This record gives sequence, C-alpha cells and structure tokens, in this order.
Amino acid sequence: MSGGRPGRLAALIAALVAVFLLMPLIAVIPVSFTPNRYLSVPSGAWSLRHYRDLITNPGWGQAVWLSIRIGLLSSVVATTLALFFSLGIWMLRPRFATVLMGIALLPMVAPPVVSALTLYFLLVSLSQFNSVVAYDTLPGVALAHAVMIAPFAVVLITVALAQVDRRIDLAARAMGAGVLTRVTRVILPNIRFGVLTAFFLTFVLSWEEIGVTIFVTSVNVITLPRMMWMGLRDNIDPAIAAISVVLIVIVVTVILAKTAVQILQRRRSARKTA
Amino acid sequence: MSNATRTFVLLGPLLAFIGLTYLVPFLGVMRWSVTLPEPGLGQYQAALSDPLILSVLVRTLRICTLVTLFSVLAAYAVTLIWVRGSPAQRLAIELCILIPFWISVLTRAFGWLALLSNRGILNEWLQSLGILSEPLTLVRNEFGVIVGMTHYLIPFAVFPLASAMRNLDERALMAARGMGASRARVFRNVFVPMTAAGILGAALVVFVFALGFFVTPAILGGGRSVMVAELIYLYIFQIPNWGLAAAVSVILMVAVGVLLALLMRVMRPPVPR
Amino acid sequence: MVASLDLTLSGSWKGRGLQNIKAAEIGAEGIGKRFGSFAALDDISLTIGRGEFLTLLGPSGSGKTTFLMILAGFEPATFGRLTLDGRDVTKMPAEERAFGMVFQGYALFPHMTVEQNIAFPLKVQRRSAAEVRRRVAEMVEMVGLGGHGHKRPAGLSGGQQQRVALARALAYEPPVLLLDEPFSALDKNLRGQMQDEVRRLHRETGTTFVFVTHDQSEALALSSRVAIFDHGKLQQLASPQEVYERPANRFVAEFLGDINILPLTDVAPDAAGACGRFEGGVIRAAAGAGCVSGLLAVRPEYMRLSEAAPDGNAVCARIDEVIYLGAETRLELRTRGGIALTLSVATAALPQGLRQGAEIWAGWPEEQGFFL
Ligand SMILES: Nc1ncnc2c1ncn2[C@@H]1O[C@H](COP(=O)(O)OP(=O)(O)OP(=O)(O)O)[C@@H](O)[C@H]1O
Ligand SMILES: [Mg+2]
Repeated sequence: MSGGRPGRLAALIAALVAVFLLMPLIAVIPVSFTPNRYLSVPSGAWSLRHYRDLITNPGWGQAVWLSIRIGLLSSVVATTLALFFSLGIWMLRPRFATVLMGIALLPMVAPPVVSALTLYFLLVSLSQFNSVVAYDTLPGVALAHAVMIAPFAVVLITVALAQVDRRIDLAARAMGAGVLTRVTRVILPNIRFGVLTAFFLTFVLSWEEIGVTIFVTSVNVITLPRMMWMGLRDNIDPAIAAISVVLIVIVVTVILAKTAVQILQRRRSARKTA
Repeated sequence: MSNATRTFVLLGPLLAFIGLTYLVPFLGVMRWSVTLPEPGLGQYQAALSDPLILSVLVRTLRICTLVTLFSVLAAYAVTLIWVRGSPAQRLAIELCILIPFWISVLTRAFGWLALLSNRGILNEWLQSLGILSEPLTLVRNEFGVIVGMTHYLIPFAVFPLASAMRNLDERALMAARGMGASRARVFRNVFVPMTAAGILGAALVVFVFALGFFVTPAILGGGRSVMVAELIYLYIFQIPNWGLAAAVSVILMVAVGVLLALLMRVMRPPVPR
Repeated sequence: MVASLDLTLSGSWKGRGLQNIKAAEIGAEGIGKRFGSFAALDDISLTIGRGEFLTLLGPSGSGKTTFLMILAGFEPATFGRLTLDGRDVTKMPAEERAFGMVFQGYALFPHMTVEQNIAFPLKVQRRSAAEVRRRVAEMVEMVGLGGHGHKRPAGLSGGQQQRVALARALAYEPPVLLLDEPFSALDKNLRGQMQDEVRRLHRETGTTFVFVTHDQSEALALSSRVAIFDHGKLQQLASPQEVYERPANRFVAEFLGDINILPLTDVAPDAAGACGRFEGGVIRAAAGAGCVSGLLAVRPEYMRLSEAAPDGNAVCARIDEVIYLGAETRLELRTRGGIALTLSVATAALPQGLRQGAEIWAGWPEEQGFFL
C-alpha cells in the first residue's frame, strides 16, 4: 500500500465490479438482434428488424427531435440563469451567500420524486391559466427540465469561477471598468470552458431526463426517454434494445475519442518537456 | 448601476425562477397534504399508520440500506484501483465508471432486464447447459431492484471516495510502513480510518439518492416491490389520492433534509484538531 | 507642512514630458475599519500630497492592505472620511475613483497579450484607437518590454509580468497609483531592479504613489514619506530619515532596524539636552524630548568600540558573541547590569583580538542618543 500499488485482492474485486458495471450494457447487444417481438435471446437466426423499426416507425425520430428541442431550450435557459447567478455570487459576495446557494441547488438535492410532484403541481396549476406553458406541452416540459438542470449549471460555473484570480477583477475595477466590461471582457473569457461544459452537461441531463418527465407528460409530449419508458413498463419492446445499443455506441465513441485525445496530448506535452 | 440594482439583476432571475417554479409549488404540495380531501392532518396520520404504506416505508429503508452497503463496498474497491492503481488499471477503471455514468438510467435498467429476466441471457444460458429446468425469477422482485439500484449508484459513491483518497496524506502511510506494519495492517488500521469521512459521505449521498429514486425500482420491481417514490406516483396517476401523495412527499423531503444536514456535518468537520 | 512638501515635490518633476497633471491629493480623516468587533484600522488621519511617494509600512496584519483597499474603494470604511483634492469621495465606488492598482501576484488578464492588457484601461475610458495604439507603444517602451508586446502573461518572467502590471496601471495616467507589496514574489536582485524602475516611473509620471510593503529597507529607499502601522494604528508618519533617526515611539524604533535601549535613572533635562545615570556612569543626550521615560535609544551603527573608557558617553560590557556577516561583523554584548547590546562594525575596522568574554567599552556621540 504505502506509496505503492493496491494488493491483488483489491484488483480482483475491482475487476469483478467493473464486469458488473459493464455487464448490462453488453447484454443489450444480443437482445437487440432477436427476431421475436418479445424480449429474448436470438437462437440461431439474428435479425435487424428492430433497427429497421427505429427508422420506419416515425415515433422514434419524432421523439429524438423533440428531446433535442427540449434539451436546447431548457439548457439555454438554465445555463443563462445559472451564469447570472454564479457571477452575482462571485462578484458581489452577498451576505447569506450560502443560503442563496442552497435555494439555487434545491432541485438537485431534493428527492427526484418530490421534485417531480412539485413540478407536476406547477404545470397543472399553470394549465388553468394558459395552454402554452402547461402540462403535457413542449414549453411546459422544457420549463420543468430547466428547473431540474439549473443547479448543475450553477455548480459547474461556480467551480469555474473559483479558479479565477479575484484580483484580475479588482484590477479591472480599479481601472474604472463597469460591471458589463468586467463580465464580458475579463471574467467570461476566463470561464468560457466552464460555461460550455455547463451547457453541454445540462443538455445531456435534459436529454436523459425521465423521472420528472413521466409526471408532467401524458400523450402529446413523448420525449425519447418517455418513449423508452412506455416500451419498458408492460410488454417489453425489443426496439428498446436497438435504441439502447445506438445510445451506448454514441456514448462509448465519445468517451473513447475524448480519452484518446487526452492521452495523445499528454504524450505530446511529455515529449515536449523531455 | 447601484449595488442593489446589480444584486437584483444578477441574483434575481435564478432566485425568482426557482422561487416561482419550485418553492411556491412545493408550498402548494404542502397545502394539498393538509387540504385534500379534507382539511386537517388526516393524511399524515394515514401515512404513518396505514399498514400498506408502512410496509412500503420499511421496504424502502431496507432496500436503501442494502443498496448503500453494496454500492459503497463496490465503489471502495474500484476507487482504490482508480486512484492508486497502475496507469493501465486506472484507465480501464475510469472507462468502466464513466461509460455507465453517461448512459441513461433507462438503458441501464433495460440491460438488467435483458440479462436477468425469464427469457434473458442468464436464464437461457443456464437452461441450455441443463443446470436449470425452470427459469429463476431474478427481476420483478426485490433482488432485481437491489441489483439495478446498486449498479446505478456505484459511480455516485466513487466520486466522494476518490476525493477522500486523493487528499490523503501519503506520509502517514509511509510512516506506518516504516514502523514495520504489514500491508494488510496499514490498509485496515491506517488507510480505511483515514478515508472514513469519504466513506460516510459516499454512504449518505447514495442513501439520499436511493430514497427518492423512482425509475429503476419501477422497471425492475415490476410493481411487486413498490418503494416510496413509486407509491407517490401510484397515488397521483393510478389510485388518485393527491393528499396522501403530497403527505408522503413532505415526509420524504423532511427525511432527506435531515440526512443532508448530517452530510454537511460530515463533509465539513467542525474544527480539525 | 503638507503645502511645503507639495511644493518641493512638484518642483522636482515640473517641466518633464510625461508629467501627470492629474496627480491628486488624498486626505483621510479618522478612518476606522471593523471586521465584526475586531478593529483592523483605528482612527487613521493623514494627508497624501500631490505627487508624493508614500509608503505604508508595518508588520503582517497591521492593516496596510485594509487601508489601501479603503483608499481604492474596494472596502467601505466603518468610520471616517476620505477626500480627493478636497472633494468627499468616501462613498465613491472603486470604478469611479479609477486609481491605478498593482497587486501582489500582478493580476494580469491571462487571456490578453501584453499590449491588450495595457490597452484595457484606455479602452475602458473610450480613448480613440489611434491614441490607444500610441499610448500602449509608449508604455511598452517605458517599462522596457519592447518585443514582448504580443506575448501572453504566462509566457513572461515574474519581473516582466510586474512591469506589465505597472505599465497597465500607469497607462491611463491615474491620479493615484496604489501598490500592494508588488515585489514580494520576486527574488532579491530583481527586487532591486524593480525598485529602481518604480522610482523612475514615479519621477517621470509625477503621479501620487501609495506603496505597501513590510520590507523596511524598501520603504526607506523609495519613499518621500513613510507611514508606520501597527495593530491598525498609525504610529508615525514622517520622512525615511526622520522615522529611522527620530522614531516616535519604541515600536517604531524597534521595527526599523536594530536598536539598543538603555534604561537611565535620575534623568533631568539640562541646557544641552538631558542627562542621566547608567550603571554608575553619566550619560548625556543632545535632545531632551521624551526624557521622562528614561529610555535612551542608540542605533548600533553609531556605537564605537574601545579598550579603555573613552571621553563622552560610554558603557562597559562583556562580549557574548562575535558574528561574522561579510562586510560587517555583529557583536552581541552584555553590560554589567545585564542589559543586552548589539553593535555593527565594519569588518575592516574591527579591533584586533576581540574574544568572547572580553570586557570592552561602547561609546557614542551625544547627538545620536534619543529618548523614546
Ligand atoms: N475580510 C476580513 N474579515 C475579517 N478580518 C479581516 C478581513 N480582512 C482583513 N482582516 C484582518 O484585519 C487585519 C489587517 O489585515 P491586513 O490584510 O490589512 O494586514 P496587512 O497589514 O496587509 O498584513 P500583511 O503584511 O500580512 O499583508 C488582520 O488581522 C486581518 O486578519
Ligand atoms: Mg497585506
């Protein structure tokens, strides 16, 4: 241990856990090639019918497009609000900053089902006054998603701001720069990576959101996770396996590409210093 | 711009947003809990005396406790390798944590169905080998729920543990080795106690998450081992009793609030001596 | 007194090309700062003359940074009033005061090049593009960074970064330049160079400089006046020579360099100053002010060694320690009454045969002893 590597037993247990973590993801693959209409392992004949189904059934395409729109809308709203808020906390250092932060992070720390019921209450109440931002509408779902993902954007942007040397902001102020100049010319350029990350993460969170979505949609707004949920509840539709394989391939590709790029960069910088 | 205007412009929007879309509606939910179907604390009484609801609460606690135990143990081994293993081991573990973490909870639950259900891979395989004649029931029960939730929550336990292990003072370990302690002894008597705060933090995070968790139990429990979150769903959409759903939600919120307060104490110890 | 100072200082830079007509006079009246119940600053009153180079000197935690932050407008004062050329600016926010500021650790904008850093305050003031270009070139030249204009701060050495910070703060000709321990991260050689640089920039721009340091030699070398802080109180405000040679109190005397303090008895003022008794001998001092305390202070460099009792002021002591320091040698002495003394003697002028335990006389001129 001390300074050295963990023992063999630890490595063995970790390997078993790693297998446990990957097993269900791998299990999806054979199931997606079953020729049957029900969940089963293909014996002998493999079939692409469920992949074909993803293309021929317009429901899947519509669900994907809907999820993208909701994701963009809610992540833009959430990231913008979070950016203002985090900048405010960082620049003004208000009294009770921890309390304000607690309020901002509430939807993230509350039990998901309580948030879901709360947002259900909100949208049902809003439905009584208008039909645009309402229960089972696109703007309504985007609103609910924005509430759920905004705290994550706050966390990421606050972390990015914590890396910024406060004195560069003081220096800008001392030179007569107003709030707008300080934000746009001095602070934002130094946290743009954090803001982009926040935007990306909140988009992914909205894209995957299901707990709240189940509560605030019924028949009109069928996001991709909502569609998968319907295919999972009662009779399991093997098309879910096909779409799952597609999603897994995307995630694995992105993560492997990112890891490869990182490793290459590290090698290059190592060579430079050597 | 005066200071007050700045505060208002910068902090106002998000606070107003969360206030109007979350705090106010939550007050509404609280109102439901004491007004539906009739004014009074009847729903709270019902929630805490109805044997059905009590059995759900007990099951929820049992499942959450087991899931917490399993995820933290599994995460501890994984994190150990991730933080202190060889570069190749680290990379492999990192991928095994990150890939499931970024994959939707639905896909992951479905993966367990594909693996464990009656016509799933495991049962087919065991039957084709002749080990089983009848399929084993591995999902649509508490076992399935525990497996699925543990799988979902391991990455969330890894992150607090990793930060605890990274911040550990290497010199204490070397000192212990220097005093002639065996590897196993150093691990048990020095390393584990030094990461105790991380273990407790990870356990609390996982437990809090598990309490309000809805999707995985609903899919892998198949309506047969209902947990408190699914109960709330049922009281809203299947057997409408909004007052009871609201009361159970408020109870859950309070429980999680207490646990989070505990978490704050653990993560930020009062004054290090 | 301030008025006369003003004249002499402005006289020194009048007629130069870069002179700063905007150099301002700052007045602080009864400034106090509380953090909760803790008094970080207590009743600070002083006037900083137009074009002056004032140094705030004091031990760590004495309130120097706090005072500077109040001057800059980053922190509100709990009590007191601040004036700029007679106008009340107590409530004016930092961005309106627009004093230049140089921080410890430089605080350069990491995403901008050297030129963009220097141009920033000019653009904030909406100067014309042509003027920005001219002024940036001038400043780059002035701090000797020609050829580095397109680099980012990360690609510069510590000294170069500090020059950029100075150029950026001076580019827009602020009425006042505030510097908070700007050189504390630099090594000793570079520090010396940067001190020369700052002195030159002050002379050439004529701006009012307020400089914070806890390095006493830096303070003495650079400033026209030194303000000495301790525990949030202003202990003395005077020229470098005066604070060193005529410290207002024991704190100032001991904070600035080594000092020997002799407790005299039977002290009485007389026509020539004052005299008193120390371990049986008579000691005289040219100035009688403050003699009631009976504590006579003498800087070690004014003490001379001799084997026999000299004429005038002298005490007899035993050598405890001889410490070789290169150009100088330090001697630790102890009088018969047990009072510790320190002496610095040029190594070249060291008497032969100094041994530990030997008895020796230390004498000093009357005018170099003063009462605390
Ligand atoms: N924001 C604050 N809250 C509470 N106390 C503070 C705050 N800022 C400064 N202080 C206290 O005020 C006192 C003066 O601090 P200040 O930073 O002005 O000292 P300084 O003279 O600049 O010291 P140094 O040479 O170490 O920089 C210190 O005791 C410090 O702890
Ligand atoms: Mg300071």
